[in-house]
Amino acid sequence: MNTAYILNKNHLSFWLRTLKSTHELIAPTRDVSGDIVLTELQRMHETALDGPALMPSPKEFLLPQMEQLFCYSEEGIEEALNKRPRVLFGIRPCDLSAIRILDTFYLGKTKDAYYEARRSRTVLIAIACNRPDPTCFCLGLGTGPFLKSGFDLQLTDLGDRFLVETGSETGASLVTAYPHIFTEPKPADGDDLYETRLASQSQFEKRVNLEQVRKHIQAGAVSDAFWESVAVRCFECGGCVYNCPVCTCFNVIDRAASSEAGKRVRLWDTCMFKGFTRTAGGVIPAEAKINRTKRWFHHKLIHWPEQFGAFGCVGCGRCAISCPGTIDMATVALRIKGESKAEEK
Amino acid sequence: MNKISTTCPWCGCGCGLYLHVENNSITGVSPSRNHPVNHGTLCVKGWNCHEFVQHPDRLTTPLIKEGAALRRATWEEALAKTAAKLSEIKNTYGPDAIGILGSAKCTNEDNFVLMKFARAVIGTNNIDHCARLCHSSTVGGLAAAFGSGAMTNSIDEIRDARVIFVIGSNTTEQHPMIGMHMLEARDRGAMIIVADPRRTQIAQFSHLHMRHRSGTDVALLNAIMNVIITEGLVDVSFIRQRTENFDDFEKGVLAYSPEVAERITSVPAEDLRKAARLYASEKRSMLFYSMGITQHITGVDNVRSCANLVMLTAHIGQPMTGLNPLRGQNNVQGACDVGALPDVFSGYQKVADPASRKKFEMAWSRPLSAVPGLTLTEMVDAIHEGKIRALYIMGENPVISDPDSAHVRAAFAKLDFLAVQDIFPTDTAEYAHVILPATTFAEKDGTYTNTERRVQKIRKAVQPVGDSRPDYDIICSIARLMGYPMDYRAAHEIMEEIAILTPSYGGILHHRLDAGFGLQWPCFGMDHPGTPYLHRKKFTRGMGAFIPVEFIPPAEPTDDEYPFLLTTGRSYFHYHTGTMCRRTITLEREEPECTVEINPADAKRLEVRRGDPVRVKTRRGSIEVKARVTTVVPEGIIFIPFHFREAAVNLLTINAVDPNAKIPEFKVCAASLEAVRKKPGTRPAPRLSYHEGMKQGLDLYIPPEERPSEE
Repeated sequence: MNTAYILNKNHLSFWLRTLKSTHELIAPTRDVSGDIVLTELQRMHETALDGPALMPSPKEFLLPQMEQLFCYSEEGIEEALNKRPRVLFGIRPCDLSAIRILDTFYLGKTKDAYYEARRSRTVLIAIACNRPDPTCFCLGLGTGPFLKSGFDLQLTDLGDRFLVETGSETGASLVTAYPHIFTEPKPADGDDLYETRLASQSQFEKRVNLEQVRKHIQAGAVSDAFWESVAVRCFECGGCVYNCPVCTCFNVIDRAASSEAGKRVRLWDTCMFKGFTRTAGGVIPAEAKINRTKRWFHHKLIHWPEQFGAFGCVGCGRCAISCPGTIDMATVALRIKGESKAEEK
Repeated sequence: MNKISTTCPWCGCGCGLYLHVENNSITGVSPSRNHPVNHGTLCVKGWNCHEFVQHPDRLTTPLIKEGAALRRATWEEALAKTAAKLSEIKNTYGPDAIGILGSAKCTNEDNFVLMKFARAVIGTNNIDHCARLCHSSTVGGLAAAFGSGAMTNSIDEIRDARVIFVIGSNTTEQHPMIGMHMLEARDRGAMIIVADPRRTQIAQFSHLHMRHRSGTDVALLNAIMNVIITEGLVDVSFIRQRTENFDDFEKGVLAYSPEVAERITSVPAEDLRKAARLYASEKRSMLFYSMGITQHITGVDNVRSCANLVMLTAHIGQPMTGLNPLRGQNNVQGACDVGALPDVFSGYQKVADPASRKKFEMAWSRPLSAVPGLTLTEMVDAIHEGKIRALYIMGENPVISDPDSAHVRAAFAKLDFLAVQDIFPTDTAEYAHVILPATTFAEKDGTYTNTERRVQKIRKAVQPVGDSRPDYDIICSIARLMGYPMDYRAAHEIMEEIAILTPSYGGILHHRLDAGFGLQWPCFGMDHPGTPYLHRKKFTRGMGAFIPVEFIPPAEPTDDEYPFLLTTGRSYFHYHTGTMCRRTITLEREEPECTVEINPADAKRLEVRRGDPVRVKTRRGSIEVKARVTTVVPEGIIFIPFHFREAAVNLLTINAVDPNAKIPEFKVCAASLEAVRKKPGTRPAPRLSYHEGMKQGLDLYIPPEERPSEE
């Protein structure tokens, strides 16, 4: 069902402006300080599609770090569902893959109304990765650097033009409405696309085989001494989970303005905190740091595949950027692989 | 959704972050990828810095005390009352009967305006802030040795250092992003030396950990310098060309052989030798210190010893070297820089110096006092003596943060007038006659100066909660009511005045801070790029001064009645008196109650098990806390963090101060510890949540007319 079009780069601003007239347009934007952040695009020329992975992941637009669920008072509750239509423009394929995993979690057997309200009104326009970061390792996981499906639209930068692939009816409608700027691709465009994809794949610095790591762990080849050496470097900041596009945990709290009225909010939570498993009696099952760090890796590498048929990791490399102790997924996975190889010898 | 670039409000690292805003409410935080301090990381506090901003406990209207209760008031009424009371006390008892406390949590602009208010409007130099309690010994000690009391080098140099010597700093927990750079340096081959009685996380990464007895830092450092001199590891040419008074200093140090120091510090002489050789034999050695050095009655001496050490080995004036005091609060460096101190104007220009006084008199068109004012610790005593009748406190909570709380509370109860300007109802506000609601970092513009002297912007992200107003705006209003014209339409106008009057901030203006990540002072002019490291080629004061230092034991030695050495500090998850972090659910959940760290051997002897309630007692008071049995502390030493109002460790601490800097000795006092045996069958009283506890202690939100009648 994918149909491809060509969009001249000179016409991008025009197209974005039309998208903005009907949607809240979220795109990577260059801040005055030089950072590129994912935020509401005000001036079309400020969009920056060639930057590194965005911090945090686009997850925050579907599951905000702190989200008001409802206000309560003696009269009852008033829900706050977000109903604004939104375009997430220029997100990476790995993030898009992550959103599809989030969908299986939040829109599976039990549907999360707040997530659904945001997700059903969000159009996802991905841009294939021509320049992966040194921290990226999506290549071995099939979650990037370009996708075949799952997006509403996927753009690939071919120098002076984008190749635009449609992946859904919503996506197609955003393209077919403007036949004067979206033209049919020529055979040369196909050649350029192939070359671009090949070049992108060759730029990955990290090759991480999570399947192998999973097998090592399941075979009991990874000792607690190894996990202890990982845990000692943990700063307990929660950055790996906060930044992870796949992690789903949240905490629900009431913020009472008085004894009668207040707000119920949910906010991101992480299993890296000892308070995460604190019980009413005060006992903390995962009090030692090793239990928490080990569990995070086990959850992503063993329990996710069992439950959802996919790793809880898409190789976006954000944990490598946000971890002050450099005990991110790729580093730990490569160490596990390295140590088990050393043992074999 | 919008993302507003701003600076973290917690510690002195000054990490760059973005606040995420949707419909005027803050929905999240994310780190800046390119910021030179945090490089895309944040600590747990940074990740959760958004939560307290729009908390329901925020003060939203001015409050005035009537009888025992507080009632809501309009801004006009509250400001008029404050201005009238301050004027009355000034006219009756003289300007020096009023004390002003600034805040290391507020911006440079806020503190500058408050400093101007104290000096030009009230006419007193009685202005101080919590730097007195953390780094006043640094400001004084390094001014004498180098001429400038700030971190000499920059954070992003750390990763290229070869040796990192950390003394009295729990870096990975208290300055996590600096800890991150240290860990990176270690991964790149650097050696880490730690001197700290506690086995902190950074000590676990160290190659050499010296667990000296608290309060023996001078002996430890003198012994290290003794080894450096006797083994010929000194940099002779540096001493000749850049320093003075070496001979006097050398005589003093030669008395401290490692064996002598071993008896004082209980660190093996061989370890002292190893530390000396490691530190002196590399050219790129950085020395870091923090509260473990400064919070002693010998705080200034400790700082001088550190200064002596870096000069002896020429580890200063070059990148990847230096003497690096890690400042605690987000803007404690800035609050000192802009003159919220009793003896200096902004940029450390002395009030006693006629030339600088004249400059400020001309700028402010008021005669200014030449007599240095009282320090924070002295003000409390002056209240007891009746010399100070009124206090104006901006964003500080001395009832919890100052030593010997009972003494402080008694003083505040005596005041004729106390105005407290804050974002939350604090324990200090209990004593206030007027409470003025201020805005948080997310609701105003301004600048913070981080520990590496980097002046950075904070930007308004959301509208102020309720009727709260920016701190500088409140002070300007009071000044106008007291007959002094003070009109600033925005924070950048205040910065202009700071730049005009302060040579080291001469080129620092808001529009220059907007591009990139701020500027490091000294920055003398509009085309000056800022200064990553100090004392290049020449010390600020000219020659570096060696100052001989003798070991003096702590004020209160342990004895049979009080056998434990009690030391205080912070925990990773909390910040200072807890007004912000304890309202942040993730942080409060990690550490909801106060604990005392005790070594397993001591715990076994006293039959204390993990989680048991224990009573810790000193000559000032006692508190009940739960025991945390851990080898983090050595035998004979117990540690309690000071964040918890329900178990305020500052009820126990001693108010003995350093004679020069007047910094209290938070790090050492004598204490006893005993298990509290509950009768079987008695249930512990239910623990109130912080929110409930706060309300019980302080009926701030229910004015008398709205209270339910008790029938």
